[in-house]
Amino acid sequence: MTVPLESVVQLLPAVVDLPFREGYVWSIISVSLYVSLIAVTLSTLFSIPVAIVMGFAEFPGKQFVKSVINTGMGFPSVVVGLLVLFAVSNQGPLGSLDLIFTKEAMIMSQFVLATPPITAISLAAITGVSENVRDAARVLGGTRLDMALVVIKEARYGIVTAILAGFGRAVSEVGSVLIVGGNITSADGISKTRTLTTAIQLEARQGQYETAMVLGVILVVLVLLVNAIVVRLGDQGVQ
Amino acid sequence: MIVLRATDVAHAYQSDRVFRDLSIDVETGEIVAVIGPSGVGKTTLLRMLSLALEPDGGAVEFDGTDVWSVDDSERLSLRRHIGMVFQEASLFDASVARNVEYGLRVRRSWSDRLRSELHSIVSSNGTADAVRESLEIVGLTEKTDQHADSLSGGEAQRVSFARALAYNPDILLLDEPTSDLDPRNTAVIEDAMSEARDRGIGVVVATHDMHQAERVADRVAVLLDDSIVEIGPTEAIFESPSDDRTRKFIAGELIY
Repeated sequence: MTVPLESVVQLLPAVVDLPFREGYVWSIISVSLYVSLIAVTLSTLFSIPVAIVMGFAEFPGKQFVKSVINTGMGFPSVVVGLLVLFAVSNQGPLGSLDLIFTKEAMIMSQFVLATPPITAISLAAITGVSENVRDAARVLGGTRLDMALVVIKEARYGIVTAILAGFGRAVSEVGSVLIVGGNITSADGISKTRTLTTAIQLEARQGQYETAMVLGVILVVLVLLVNAIVVRLGDQGVQ
Repeated sequence: MIVLRATDVAHAYQSDRVFRDLSIDVETGEIVAVIGPSGVGKTTLLRMLSLALEPDGGAVEFDGTDVWSVDDSERLSLRRHIGMVFQEASLFDASVARNVEYGLRVRRSWSDRLRSELHSIVSSNGTADAVRESLEIVGLTEKTDQHADSLSGGEAQRVSFARALAYNPDILLLDEPTSDLDPRNTAVIEDAMSEARDRGIGVVVATHDMHQAERVADRVAVLLDDSIVEIGPTEAIFESPSDDRTRKFIAGELIY
């Protein structure tokens, strides 16, 4: 995947006159992908087991947990950014980790934003799997883990959709990553916490609409590429 | 000889009693039909016999072991001697071969399963033979590599039957296996029941089709009025039932 992206980036100055230092575009693409992919991977590892437990088990307060997850899908990202900022600030509970204006803080806020849609959509997919299929796995001698695996396989398209929705939310996020990441580049112009979205916001604010547009196109191409790869993996991984 | 036996079992769904004081047994190498009208609790009884449902009272024994007095892992190993086919085929979203080998796969160790995942789906070590033999019994060997979605309803049910046979259970429970099938597919399933019996498997078939019970079963249990009112050799039940309700039910005089 990196080869075509790199060549596209190298060709950009030929198409548009970009006031970029060498490596600038590639560094913000790297930061965007690094932060979003790690956040979505962590969200997926957290969300799928939660969705399975919620889909299989009955426990007091289940409806409340469901409501919290659904509410989380519409939670304003700037508020999430603020909460993470408070958490990682010097006085916050994670202050000692010195995470303010780092990629790790951005991963935290994207994790919080991506987890509700991944959990909610996975849960809908898992509860949509016929109970007969679960019963079949059990009567054929399956353990609880086997039953869970069968349900995941049957719900795989919904789960892939959930992961893509989470990735879409994470990679297109501006407000919270701006607050917790600070949109910083180093002295040589290489991105430290600047992502495609925060760069677009900055360029547009400075009247560099052409540049902002090019970065926007790169972002859309990235999202399309990730979607294509994830859908392909979802198809192949569980034949 | 292995026996699956329920003694004086009871079950209630919330406050509604489904059945009580129900006793039934099946041993390897025979077919027992459970007949009774729809909604009488045949499916519940089969779920209990499959060790998926704990009785509210009474006991279920497999090969002399009270299955609800042992721990989960021991019950799982007992459960793995029992197969079940539902009224609906309930196939997995995968190929026919993958469906049929499922019972064998879950019985293998995780390392073995991972290793075979890395090679072919249905690899050597006897799995392919078991899959082929089971599909032969239901006449669908040519469908081995097709996806389950491409099968007709009758074919799907036959694959479901093969899936339960593949791991050679001691007892096979069939819940109205032919109620949605045409006569041709019904005949295939009935032949497969006989084949299973000839292989030494004990078969319990729940059906509301009395003709089917008469055709295939060695013994018949009549489930009426929240219990088994009569159980005995097929001919005796149909020719000279000892319980008046059985006689009326067989004659079609009991309306439910």
